Amino acid sequence: MTTFRRQGRGRPRQEKTVRFSFDGKEYAGVEGDTLASALLANGVHLVGRSFKYHRPRGILSAGSEEANALVAFDRGPGRVTLNVRATTLDLYEGLTARSQNYWPSLKFDITEINDKFSALFPAGFYNKTFMWPKSFWDWVYEPFIRRAAGLGPAPSEPDPDHYTSAYDHCEVLIVGAGPAGIAAALAASESSARVIIADEQAEFGGSLLSMPEAAIDGAPAWQWLESGLETLRSRDNVTLLPRTTVFGYYHDNFLGLAQSLTDHMSEPDPKEPRECLHKVRAAKVILATGAIERPLVFADNDLPGIMLASSAQTYLNRYGVAVGDNAAIFTTHDSAYIAAFDLSDANIRIAAIIDARATVDTRLIEEAKKRGIEVRAESVVTGAVGRFRVKRIRVNRVLASGVSAPEMIDCDTLLVCGGWTPSVHLWSHSKGTLKWKSELGAYVPDRPNENVICVGACNGEFGLKRALETGASAGGGAARLLEVKEDCGWSGEVFGALPTDRNETRIKAFVDFQNDVTAKDIKLAVREGFKSIEHVKRYTTAGMATDQGKTSNLNGLQIASNALARPVEQVGLTTFRPPYTPTTFGVLAGAQSGDTFDVTRKTPIDPWAVSAGAVFEPVSLWRRARYFPQTGEDMYAAVARECKATRESLGIFDATTLGKVEVVGPDASEFMNRMYTNPWAKLGVGRCRYGLMLREDGYIMDDGVVGRLANDRFHVTTTTGGAPRVLSMMEDYLQTEWPDLDVWLTSITEQWAVIALNGPNARKLIEPFVDGIDLSQEAFPHMAAREGRICGIETRLFRVSFSGELGFEINVPAHYGLTIWRKLYEAGREFNITPYGTETMHVLRAEKGFIIVGQDTDGTVTPDDAGMSWAIGNKKLDFVGKRSLERPDIVANGRKQLVGLLTADPNFVLEEGAQIVASPGQAIPMKMVGHVTSSYWSETLGRSIAMALVKDGRSLEGESIYVPMPGATIEAKVGSTVFYDPEGERLNVI
Amino acid sequence: MSSNQHSNELTIDQGVVLAPVLTGASHEVSVVLVPERARFSLRVKPSNLKALSEASELDLPEKIGASTLASSTKILCLGPDERLVVSDVTSGGTLRRMFAELSSQISFSYADISHRNVAFEISGARAVKLLNTGCPLDLCLRAFPVGKCTRTVFEHAEITLLREGEYRFYVELWRSFAPYFVRLLEKAVKSR
Repeated sequence: MTTFRRQGRGRPRQEKTVRFSFDGKEYAGVEGDTLASALLANGVHLVGRSFKYHRPRGILSAGSEEANALVAFDRGPGRVTLNVRATTLDLYEGLTARSQNYWPSLKFDITEINDKFSALFPAGFYNKTFMWPKSFWDWVYEPFIRRAAGLGPAPSEPDPDHYTSAYDHCEVLIVGAGPAGIAAALAASESSARVIIADEQAEFGGSLLSMPEAAIDGAPAWQWLESGLETLRSRDNVTLLPRTTVFGYYHDNFLGLAQSLTDHMSEPDPKEPRECLHKVRAAKVILATGAIERPLVFADNDLPGIMLASSAQTYLNRYGVAVGDNAAIFTTHDSAYIAAFDLSDANIRIAAIIDARATVDTRLIEEAKKRGIEVRAESVVTGAVGRFRVKRIRVNRVLASGVSAPEMIDCDTLLVCGGWTPSVHLWSHSKGTLKWKSELGAYVPDRPNENVICVGACNGEFGLKRALETGASAGGGAARLLEVKEDCGWSGEVFGALPTDRNETRIKAFVDFQNDVTAKDIKLAVREGFKSIEHVKRYTTAGMATDQGKTSNLNGLQIASNALARPVEQVGLTTFRPPYTPTTFGVLAGAQSGDTFDVTRKTPIDPWAVSAGAVFEPVSLWRRARYFPQTGEDMYAAVARECKATRESLGIFDATTLGKVEVVGPDASEFMNRMYTNPWAKLGVGRCRYGLMLREDGYIMDDGVVGRLANDRFHVTTTTGGAPRVLSMMEDYLQTEWPDLDVWLTSITEQWAVIALNGPNARKLIEPFVDGIDLSQEAFPHMAAREGRICGIETRLFRVSFSGELGFEINVPAHYGLTIWRKLYEAGREFNITPYGTETMHVLRAEKGFIIVGQDTDGTVTPDDAGMSWAIGNKKLDFVGKRSLERPDIVANGRKQLVGLLTADPNFVLEEGAQIVASPGQAIPMKMVGHVTSSYWSETLGRSIAMALVKDGRSLEGESIYVPMPGATIEAKVGSTVFYDPEGERLNVI
Repeated sequence: MSSNQHSNELTIDQGVVLAPVLTGASHEVSVVLVPERARFSLRVKPSNLKALSEASELDLPEKIGASTLASSTKILCLGPDERLVVSDVTSGGTLRRMFAELSSQISFSYADISHRNVAFEISGARAVKLLNTGCPLDLCLRAFPVGKCTRTVFEHAEITLLREGEYRFYVELWRSFAPYFVRLLEKAVKSR
């Protein structure tokens, strides 16, 4: 096999051979290669098929702007990354990659037929064709298009890698380690300022790495680079981040950096993270992101072997690889001449330089002449011929009278250059404005929106000298001018679509290689009435591929501008959005995966529940025991047993997750009066009261039992899920409406573990353990709260009941929760103590008609709707929501009211959420009058029970309503929500 | 290391198990669970601060973010009217009795949150690096000097952070968030 390695060219390195595989074939490369440079060294130009037409594609560039050479990078099971740019993939021993978008083989692809019938697939084809019927989109069209298009199969296995992330801070963040970036870093790091310099490539140096001839201060540029990097490495205040893409620039100089750590390693340590996300807050940002060379738009410009001129220069000067034996150059810009001269000096034959411009710098013509290179000015390439690689090109002169007849020129490589586009992506992310610079045919940064400065080529200041000067000055460096020897002038012209003698409707001149968008598509979009580039882009998909149009946006814009006969500024510019290059989900997720995906809050008693075999359910961030199945029990059997045992003797329940707020201060009762609907002033110390809280709009927001521990101290409980928003609403009112009140709020949810004991034997169990509290019915009645000790530990003991049975809620300091639970549980065996979970708690409370906020209310339920007008202190002057309770819609008839339902068939348990109708005989669609909010099997009552919100429900007492369910319509009778012990006698068991 | 300690047959359980990798195995960074402490959230309006300081003989820091340390009692100023008092358990009882007495003379609030929080000491040369895996603050000495404290976040958990030395930090958080916090630290230490 021929090798295209050139001895004596490329960056100095140990020539260590590295074997790799592409499309199942083994090749050899050299350490330091990218996959693209190694393939080119082996003479491989065909690396993939295009997205839509499945045309053969090669390697367009040598960097992250690559639009053609997308491969599947295979690091083993679960580790296949699709659409990786071969030009940025660092080679290592054993690297495996495959081409994409073909079937059955890269050279014989059946779908290539799309190319022949491309007249059937114009711009907007999908929008036009797959609109009808709408339902087909999900099931037929999208899956088909996805399979046919080059997005590759999504991974089906979990990602076996792990990722890390960290916040970093610095005074100066420099993006891009080319000459401008390094000059900036050297200057900025002379003080003690923390400097971070990041570059997407493995090796720092940027364009300098492709410029061995340049000299800085009389020394070769590479020597300047080496010593500069040495200086930076020696400074403690500098962090150098290679292989790090700054993918997003967010508010207040917050930037996202993705650093690749192991993808370039042959055998990475599995403990090492694959990538690291640096979340950087920088006082100042210096963007030294360079510029991207622009391709030229002519027929068949996508044939393998056609690549950017500067990239050929990079392959030669940096990797020591000749991209061909016989190269033609097609340019509208001076810089391609230098590429031609470099290649010529490396003994690559230059077939011709074809320059579309009328006048070319005479110095360049002279240099070409010296090397015997023919320059054809005022000429264009109008076609390229070849199956999988360019063989010859079609060249025409552009005369005043029109385009001349073509002439064929043989070549195996065509290097193109349509000028340079400053990389303003990050500048745009930061909301800096842009201005059109017509001599560059490009947008350049105008006014910054953050503390940021653009230097060098990304600011439209081309050339090594300007890069070094603007970089050093942005870094705060002295204005010492460096002596720089560099090659070329930086002038060029911008053409958009180039003239041709061919029928433009029959050729494909690509603008966007990755999305297969041609000049013809953009012109069609303009003909169909799209005038803004934002619309043209969406209609044609130009610039919408994963490369975000790095090589295509400006050409597309120029073509649209010409077609509209309007200046470019009036056609617009598409918005750049993060990420700059595709970024893995893994690195964005970081540690937020697996067991640290989110917080799971566990109570102190959780370990006991685990050992008792509890089944858990999430309730806000908490996990709570739902039920405790014994062998062979399903949930229904377990809940029936737990309910029965509690009503008959004793149940124990972990209520720790209830929100708790300590309200303290001389104005505590005044504050409670204003926040809750109930009156608090007369609540005695040592007593509890059920509290109901409304939002400003009069609807129920939360509820809970409140105990008064002292004149100036309330122990407030909230629902589990409502705790944060209750505290935050209380704080909001206190800080903004009533700052005059002397009262303070402290979350004590986690201070106390809460053990709820319910059942006729509850008092008997705790009596021997309690000190300092008289537990007798007289001294400690229902709804009393006392402070004392249990098992020698301080407790806030509440006599309350959410089950209708004699009940106690024992608050103990959380670190003692588990040990006291264990003690009570052991002692409770004598009473057949039964642990129960949230499901039994729900059934027990439903039997008593106690609501659960958020289940029996939905944010549109007033106290009266819920049958809880009794909780409103009518004599109070004000409380949150009071005025809303007089709103016309709230006092009007016809509101949904909470009622009890008993099904005609006592064994049928209604579905929660089921809709309710007044009569079953109506025509469909029937009129819905309400819905079921709670529904359970009640073991105690031996039948099903339910609660529902029904229009004017209370007036329907005793009447039947109907619940249409799949298969049958269920009849139920409206009644009270209290199903069990309506007199409340069970609370008073002695 | 388990967090269990025994006192009169009842077991204190702070709900935290530290992996060996975090308990001082490396001198670069170590994470240690602080044993049981007494804690109070002390709330007082600025107008009464001086009176409370004098009556309690506690050196209550005045500036948000400031902290004081007297014998074993740390006091952190976390808000305009908010201080976190952390002491050993024995002094906690004394403090509570004193606060109860003073509350009839001065308008302020104290709430016992001894068991609401757990605390960790994170120390070593890589302490800042470890904290910055989840905490977005700039922890360089200039921006976050010794003695500074603040309420902040560590990934999805709210934490209170106090710098006690160049390489020593004190972190408090609600007890149910602690296992999540510890697990994140463990992952971060392992993957670096």
